[in-house]
Amino acid sequence: MKILTKIKERLKKVVPAKLKSLKAKKKKPALKNPASSVSKDIPSFQETIAVNTKFSHPEDMRPKSSTPQELPSSYDQDKIILQVRDVRWLHTYWELRNQTIEALKNKLGDEFRRAKKILRVYDVTNIIFNGNNANSFFDIQYNDFANSWYIDTSVPGRSWCVDLGLMLTDGRFITILRSNVVSTPLDGPSWITDEEWMIPEDIFARLYGMGFGLGKSSPVGGAWQQRLKQGLFSSGITSSPVRKEVKERKFWMKVDCELIVYGATEPDAKVTVQGEPINLRPDGTFTLRYYLPDSKQIIPVKATSADKLEERTITPIVTRETR
Amino acid sequence: MTKGYLCLVLHGHLPFVRHPEHENFLEEDWLYEAITETYVPLISVFEGLVSDGIDFRITMTLSPTLISMLSDSLLQERYLRHINKLIELSQKEIERTKWQESFRPLAEMYFNKFSQARNTFQKYNNNLVYAFKKFQDLGKLEIITCGATHGFFPLMDVCRESVRAQVKVAADHYESVFGRRPAGIWLPECGFCPGHDEILREAGIRFFFTDSHGLLHGTPRPKYGVFAPVYCKGTGVAAFGRDLESSKQVWSSIEGYPGDYNYREFYRDIGFDLEFDYIKPYIHPDGVRINTGIKYYRITGTGNHKEPYVAEWARERAAEHAGNFMFNRQKQAGYLNDLMGKPPIIVSPYDAELFGHWWYEGPMWLDFLFRKVACDQKEIRMITPSEYLAENPRNQVITPSFSSWGYKGYSEMWLQGTNDWIYRHLHAASGRMTELVHSYPGAQGLLRRALNQALRELLLAQSSDWAFILGTGTHTSYAVRRTKDHLLRFNRIYEDIKSNSINEKWLADIEYKDNLFPNIDYQVHQ
Repeated sequence: MKILTKIKERLKKVVPAKLKSLKAKKKKPALKNPASSVSKDIPSFQETIAVNTKFSHPEDMRPKSSTPQELPSSYDQDKIILQVRDVRWLHTYWELRNQTIEALKNKLGDEFRRAKKILRVYDVTNIIFNGNNANSFFDIQYNDFANSWYIDTSVPGRSWCVDLGLMLTDGRFITILRSNVVSTPLDGPSWITDEEWMIPEDIFARLYGMGFGLGKSSPVGGAWQQRLKQGLFSSGITSSPVRKEVKERKFWMKVDCELIVYGATEPDAKVTVQGEPINLRPDGTFTLRYYLPDSKQIIPVKATSADKLEERTITPIVTRETR
Repeated sequence: MTKGYLCLVLHGHLPFVRHPEHENFLEEDWLYEAITETYVPLISVFEGLVSDGIDFRITMTLSPTLISMLSDSLLQERYLRHINKLIELSQKEIERTKWQESFRPLAEMYFNKFSQARNTFQKYNNNLVYAFKKFQDLGKLEIITCGATHGFFPLMDVCRESVRAQVKVAADHYESVFGRRPAGIWLPECGFCPGHDEILREAGIRFFFTDSHGLLHGTPRPKYGVFAPVYCKGTGVAAFGRDLESSKQVWSSIEGYPGDYNYREFYRDIGFDLEFDYIKPYIHPDGVRINTGIKYYRITGTGNHKEPYVAEWARERAAEHAGNFMFNRQKQAGYLNDLMGKPPIIVSPYDAELFGHWWYEGPMWLDFLFRKVACDQKEIRMITPSEYLAENPRNQVITPSFSSWGYKGYSEMWLQGTNDWIYRHLHAASGRMTELVHSYPGAQGLLRRALNQALRELLLAQSSDWAFILGTGTHTSYAVRRTKDHLLRFNRIYEDIKSNSINEKWLADIEYKDNLFPNIDYQVHQ
């Protein structure tokens, strides 16, 4: 509803504008460039029509509601979130309020424009991070339009934290936002064994390979990589886990034949086709449809009156031959 | 003498798809197809085993969204409409194929199958959940729960309130349906993050499953690999690891059983093959051709030439494959038993819809397997996780690794260029939900209804199915629409509550559309 109302409002706005320009033309026929005022109006009017058509298109079966159709582009917050994609890749996304950016601009003046936009990625494995005690860090420069980034950490089994910040021309780094801390998983078995449940290395190696379905003698190193190659990942009902359809991208044609046999008799008669009884419609008509293979089909249709005193047989003979 | 245990797990899940506002809705067919091709055939297998006195054990997830749809009267009526049309079509097919010797018995097979589906469906009062419950009460089937709407937990780790809501809503829903708390959970997509076991423990859940590397890459090393469960450090919740050797035999696109040339070809359906006017009443009302479920060909080979399906040959292959599977488990159990010095548990989880829907002969294969394991040998014993833990209470304590059973084993399927845009919105909504819970404790009346609906909309937006479809990159418009619709509805409720202007009429409309979890309590989101 809101959309329709909006369109109506836009139409209202457009129409007076056009009237205005017509009036203007009338009043001032010697207007310097009347074409320009018309050409300004026409596109906006067409645009309105296009929008109108889009939302009243018969194929758009969605009900109209007063909720907006698109998600907000921001949630008016300063926030950076870090997530783990796999053993070495992280994903981060962020949002900055306009007022936060304005405040930075005011504070830094010209420096703001010259500063590099930086994601600083800290290795915070086994520490409580206070901003200064990271094991190590590396920087990624991101472009003005980005609001998310995939980060390759290169090493599995570590903990990470990311600062969104600015690198000033004098080399100083200013943190604007700090993310949550995440930990990536190991890409092989742990080196930690526990005393109570310890197991000899060679037996573990066999159990490890077998767990990945790789048989009894696969080495620990590389077993995970091999497992990845096997596939066997879940896919649900929306796509086939078993085997994808083979599509031959060649020109092609198919031709086939079906046969329709139809007729009518007294509604209370009994009818057989090739000896098998069939059902009549209430008005005594019938229609039968058969796949017709290459063959000669003899199709006796026999009707018997309800009192069984009369009988009619009609026998179409049909031959299909495909060359 | 039992050398090892076999724990078969079928993960039954469909996203919540229910559109009362449309007379026909294409994606609702996922449910109808799964009922006809998977759920009813499985129930028939279980019924046959019980009536023949064959002891068996199987574990199944029934996801809360699947239970909600199976129990919904509108969808039940629509399923009857759907199956009646299929029965009608199969009757026409019996007539049409009269002069095709190799097709006519197949048309009859489908007529019988569809008629049986309708009979079974009606026998359980149109609600198949009762059927599954019956086998659980008989001790043959252990039903486990899942995330309320199958949200992928690792990508909710920054808002654990939402993980908690997914788990608590699911466990409470399970209890209202089955009359007891769930002992186990299938973490959606097998997605586990260390720490989420604490949330499971709070909900009284005793075990879950991980993919192989969840256990194998845990810390410290799991002594028995994936062939014994472990307890999570600090919480004692048990984790069972997936065995990939048995998975591979059933699942692999190259060497798996379902690719056998005698099995039914999925991609040749009369919905696409037959003349338009004839098939029109049975496809989408707009004339878009769809699968009807009637398929006459066998896989035949790797090319596009297909030969007619021969039911008897397929049946023989299913029996052989069941025998082969059992033989391999016996060998595997024997070998592992020597290595471990105790009976291993081999955990074989599959998507339930693989059986029957994708792999037509799957339920038959299961039937043969159950019968052979019960009658032909003593080396392997079928077991449920609860039984195993009761008999084997002493297990190693480790912290399993972050893992999933999705593409490449972690989060990538649900976090890539095509779907990563959803998380800023989902996380913002989670944050807002937590804010609402703190601002309005113990709400009543209209406000309570709005808060409860807000949680329903948030949960629906979180379904991993939408991100998955976006990740596959094909037919994505419905998944985009669903993600946005639920988030937009959530955002509107949030704004309306904050501005004290809840529109009762609008709220009632979305309560009617997104009607799952009638007893939901918004306060679980904290």
